Amino acid sequence: MSSIALPSSISRTRTASRTNREPALVRWLLTALALAFLFGFLFLPLTVVFTQALGKGWAAYGAALIEPNALSAMWLTVLAAAIAVPLNLVFGIAAAWAIAKFEFPGKSLLMTLIDLPFSVSPVVSGLIYVLLFGLQGWLGPWLQEHDIKLIFAVPGIVLATIFVTFPFVARELVPLMQAQGTEEEEAAIVLGASGWQAFWRVTLPNVKWGLLYGVILCNARAMGEFGAVSVVSGHIRGMTNTIPLHVEILYNEYNSAAAFAVASVLALLALVTLAAKSILEWRIKQQTVDRS
Amino acid sequence: MSIEINDVEKSFGRFKALKNITLNIGSGELVALLGPSGCGKTTLLRIIAGLEAPDSGSILFYGEDATNRHVRERQVGFVFQHYALFRHMTVFENIAFGLRVRPRGQRPSESEIRRKVHDLLNLVQLDWLADRYPGQLSGGQRQRIALARALAVEPKVLLLDEPFGALDAKVRKDLRRWLRRLHDELHVTSVFVTHDQEEALEVADRVVVLNEGRVEQIGTPDEVYDHPETPFVYHFLGDVNLFHGRVHDGHARIGETQVDLTGGSDHPESAIFYVRPHEIEILRDGGGTGTIAAKIRDIRPLGATVRIELERIDDRGSVEVELTRDQFGRKGLSEGDKVYLQPKRLRTFDGNTKRETTLEAVNR
Repeated sequence: MSSIALPSSISRTRTASRTNREPALVRWLLTALALAFLFGFLFLPLTVVFTQALGKGWAAYGAALIEPNALSAMWLTVLAAAIAVPLNLVFGIAAAWAIAKFEFPGKSLLMTLIDLPFSVSPVVSGLIYVLLFGLQGWLGPWLQEHDIKLIFAVPGIVLATIFVTFPFVARELVPLMQAQGTEEEEAAIVLGASGWQAFWRVTLPNVKWGLLYGVILCNARAMGEFGAVSVVSGHIRGMTNTIPLHVEILYNEYNSAAAFAVASVLALLALVTLAAKSILEWRIKQQTVDRS
Repeated sequence: MSIEINDVEKSFGRFKALKNITLNIGSGELVALLGPSGCGKTTLLRIIAGLEAPDSGSILFYGEDATNRHVRERQVGFVFQHYALFRHMTVFENIAFGLRVRPRGQRPSESEIRRKVHDLLNLVQLDWLADRYPGQLSGGQRQRIALARALAVEPKVLLLDEPFGALDAKVRKDLRRWLRRLHDELHVTSVFVTHDQEEALEVADRVVVLNEGRVEQIGTPDEVYDHPETPFVYHFLGDVNLFHGRVHDGHARIGETQVDLTGGSDHPESAIFYVRPHEIEILRDGGGTGTIAAKIRDIRPLGATVRIELERIDDRGSVEVELTRDQFGRKGLSEGDKVYLQPKRLRTFDGNTKRETTLEAVNR
């Protein structure tokens, strides 16, 4: 494998250098355009978030963050992510394993279904749950009879978060596992390993960086999700508000300093995610370089 | 351990990969499964290993039915074509893997594992690579580590899938001689798959030639090379020239030429004669009977031998002749020369019985 991979990578860099002979002006123009775009759409808003958040001083910033409703929103966000991410981790590994290592009827259907949350508007995903579990929904009367409250309550928020974030881990792992093939697992089995041992000792270590990458993206989305959660939440302060919903409420009340203060927490989370993502990308690249 | 393969069949969808394969492999033998790609040789190897299940037929290990035995319990060592080393483990851990995954009761102690792995590393002469990762090794080194890993579980049978396929020519030659010596030392029953006839002839005790899911011939390297049972085997094991003609009354007729024979039955209708490039003599002059007139089209020196391509004067196709450097030097041939070809040995196959007959030309 390696002896084939090496020459192709050399030729790839060669063609790249040959085709990269654009005039200097074009190169500068394109780079400047990209930078201007980044500045206008990413850096500027980020600065605005932090300047606005600190507009009334550090004390007001701190107060907005430790206010009970804000704390409750943060707690709910962490809770939803803490349930959704591990579940999607298990689901993602199971789905990727099945898709990458086995042939079965309905495989392409499964792959399409995994992508569904990406192609459906989050608001629609939220509405599906309202239509299913809401008071006027299909299962609403039955749930009410048994005194189970899903919609406009924490379970609904967790459900919506799981639905919206479930493609992330699977999407990350499927191509990785497909590229790795099944030879190493077969080698493990021939050497006497059980299926479980092959999974823990061979399959999982081989995909660990990709897996972590998927988890980080999944977590970022779980904490930042607005649309689907907004529909099922009911916006009950201190009860069913996540961070994004809390920001919206504060902003609608013209309490922009507090709104931006809470928003800055999400912005920080995004920055941490970006950093973690870059580190992981670098690690994954290192690993593939090692292997070739 | 001996292996018996009885009437094994395997299909993938509508494609019949193996048809009625019956084969016995003796204890301690080194057998090559030889054939072009798509002939089913790797499928057969995977069925012996238990990585695939046959649709019908049975596999016996040492006389015991092992058809339904799980891969884990077959005690086979398998060396994959691309080695399939565990890339996140060091060379040491790769080799130790088979010992570490054993159930607690049968697992050797850490010191024993250590000793065993180092013994194996010494056996494949790569002790100094214990702490490297597979990605840091050359192809030949990976291949030997893969072999050491397979041997760690003390397999009763060693199976190798195109063991030298991904290596360059020089390393390949060294490694196959090394594998032969290793086999002579360990005497473990081994089967390897290859599409390279030279490799099969050099390394194996016996060669199984496969084509389109069927066994064409089983025999020692000499048998399959010198007495191919079918035209396919003839073609596949080395280059061959074809002459159309007839056999009658003690001589073969090829076009206008009559070659006297020492024996052989009649093929009065028509026959195809198979002649290897080194079984043809080139004569500078001698336009009598028994020779085919031809013109030299191309001369290509290939190391120790010289390959000469000729065009028959009667326009019935081209002929390839192989001479040693010495012979070539003595004859002083050059492109465009008109010469005479004298086949020393002709082979022909009976269309009905598929039997091969060798016809020796009379030496004059």
